[in-house]
Amino acid sequence: MPAPALIIRDLRFSYPEAAWALSVPHLQVEAGEHVLLVGGSGRGKSTLLQVVAGLRELGSGSVEVAGMRMDTLRGAARDEARGRSIGMIFQTFNLLHGFTALENVFAALMFSSMPAAEHEHRARTLLSTLGIANADAEVDRLSVGQQQRVAVARALAARPALVLADEPTASLDPENTETAMDLIQSACRAEGAALLCTSHDPSMRARFARIETIDAMIAGAAR
Amino acid sequence: MSAKTLTDWQIVMRSLRARPLSTWITIGMVATSVALLLVLFGMRTAARGAFDRGSGNIHLLVSADPSPLVAVLNGIFYANAPSKPIAWSKYQSIRSAFPYQWAIPTQQGDSYRGSPTMATSTDFFSKFEPVAGEPWKLASGKFFERPFEIVLGAAAAKSSGLRLGQEVFLTHGSGASREGSEPDEHAGHVHTEYPFKVVGVLEPTGSAHDRALFIDLESSWILHAFDRRERAGISGVTTAADLEDDDRKITGILLRLPTRPGSDASAAMQQQFDTLRRDTAIVVAQPAQQIQKLFEIVSNVDGIFIGMAVAVLISSSLSTMLALYNSMAARTRQIAVLRVLGASQGRVFGLVLTESLVITMAGALSGIVLALLGGIAASAWLKASIGLVIDPTLDPRSTVIVLGGAVALGGIAGLLPAWRAYQVPVADNLRPAA
Repeated sequence: MPAPALIIRDLRFSYPEAAWALSVPHLQVEAGEHVLLVGGSGRGKSTLLQVVAGLRELGSGSVEVAGMRMDTLRGAARDEARGRSIGMIFQTFNLLHGFTALENVFAALMFSSMPAAEHEHRARTLLSTLGIANADAEVDRLSVGQQQRVAVARALAARPALVLADEPTASLDPENTETAMDLIQSACRAEGAALLCTSHDPSMRARFARIETIDAMIAGAAR
Repeated sequence: MSAKTLTDWQIVMRSLRARPLSTWITIGMVATSVALLLVLFGMRTAARGAFDRGSGNIHLLVSADPSPLVAVLNGIFYANAPSKPIAWSKYQSIRSAFPYQWAIPTQQGDSYRGSPTMATSTDFFSKFEPVAGEPWKLASGKFFERPFEIVLGAAAAKSSGLRLGQEVFLTHGSGASREGSEPDEHAGHVHTEYPFKVVGVLEPTGSAHDRALFIDLESSWILHAFDRRERAGISGVTTAADLEDDDRKITGILLRLPTRPGSDASAAMQQQFDTLRRDTAIVVAQPAQQIQKLFEIVSNVDGIFIGMAVAVLISSSLSTMLALYNSMAARTRQIAVLRVLGASQGRVFGLVLTESLVITMAGALSGIVLALLGGIAASAWLKASIGLVIDPTLDPRSTVIVLGGAVALGGIAGLLPAWRAYQVPVADNLRPAA
């Protein structure tokens, strides 16, 4: 049985001089499980994802991704672990401008453990599966919908155990929200990746079997 | 089919291509400063080499010029005709006072169409080497063997267009003269009475001698004896039999002292130099020493130019640093994305540092090409304008030093922008733009 994609224990995090602190006593996401993290704006959803990804130092507690303690890793080791085990999808995609769709996926693969000889096949297959016909086009020439597909492909390229999606539909209209979430969830299922998705959109609740509310995790006072 | 992927090198090149104007201007600045430095170093070395060449295997030069430096400039580099003569009896006394390997008399003062003439003995071609270890070689014809035969230096032959068998008239002094077929009574003091036949053309030596024409010493004496006799109202052909002691004048003596086999140095050098210096009627010079002195005189100016070129190189490195540092503001998101994908802080530091090194290397290599082209152009100009033959190839040692210095400066220039990339706060730069 595969290890849980994510286990958070007694996590506490606060920004310097912030009026609140993020507190997560326990959160476990099983391998391949899809979890929606909801809560109002400014409640720490994005911050939690950044802490899980090792982009922010937690105050105390532990974060384990696919059986690996992210919080004990430092520097390049943590960056390497993130590149191999975690994929991230952002509201504004954060693609590398000036690079092609293929190169954007390569960018994720170059920091993974996958042999370089397999990169092109993996990237083209993923992009093709996600409906990108012209993988060699610069991302700036692609439509918004196509850019999102490239972003999803990049997040899944290294076959991560966990995909963190930070408000992936915040800038989309309801119709495109449905399409985008169909894409993200089906791609994660196809790749066997767990998904931890944040959103403040109530309509998203229907798409997830498990919903965690971050408001309940706010301690209320900064340490 | 070969696998494709993305490499650090591709990311670096893509970043540089994303801001072409800034990249090319910075490369251009580095190239200009590297080229400037290499040309200055190269010209200094080449000019030194060109001056070293003319003195060949001479140990001492005797003349009646005002100073040893002037003696060398006039006697070896044909800067001007020596103003004071040396009596033939003085030459004989010097020659007999010490067992020199050879003592070659020379006389300057005449010219052909602005090219200087040197009257000398046949020893000049058989014993004196214009470049040590490289004796004279004929491109065509032969060396002079009798009076009124003339041998052309390579540059003089080229500039005059003279060929073997043609006749020329020499001019007293450095004024205009002309070919034998075109006498002109109004062209100054031209020795129209005595045509000289071109019997030989020399191979280039890369020295100032290439600009000169060479005649037999006796021919020169006869020319001037003719003038003396004409002033005295004596008409008719002047021959060697008409020469008086006062006609037999020279302007220089090239001396080589005895040496040990396989050595160019002479143990008697300093003693003989001091002995000759005591004669107040003459000046004695060690050519190598005088050339060194000449370079010491101009070394300050040389140093200023090289200092300026180094300053340009440093300022181009500062431009590289500024261009990269300023580009960081627009690239923080790209760096943050790379970090999210798994790039370490060290890796993004290396990417930016590599950009700086690529700019510097591209600039330095372009500078080397520029310097080569500039050196070729400058050597062609120097040869055409003052007859100074210099080697336009770059000195490998200077090239390696300048290249290494430029790359080191490029590396230093990349440190600050690379440090800025290293410190990019990842999470803060992934948020949607406001």
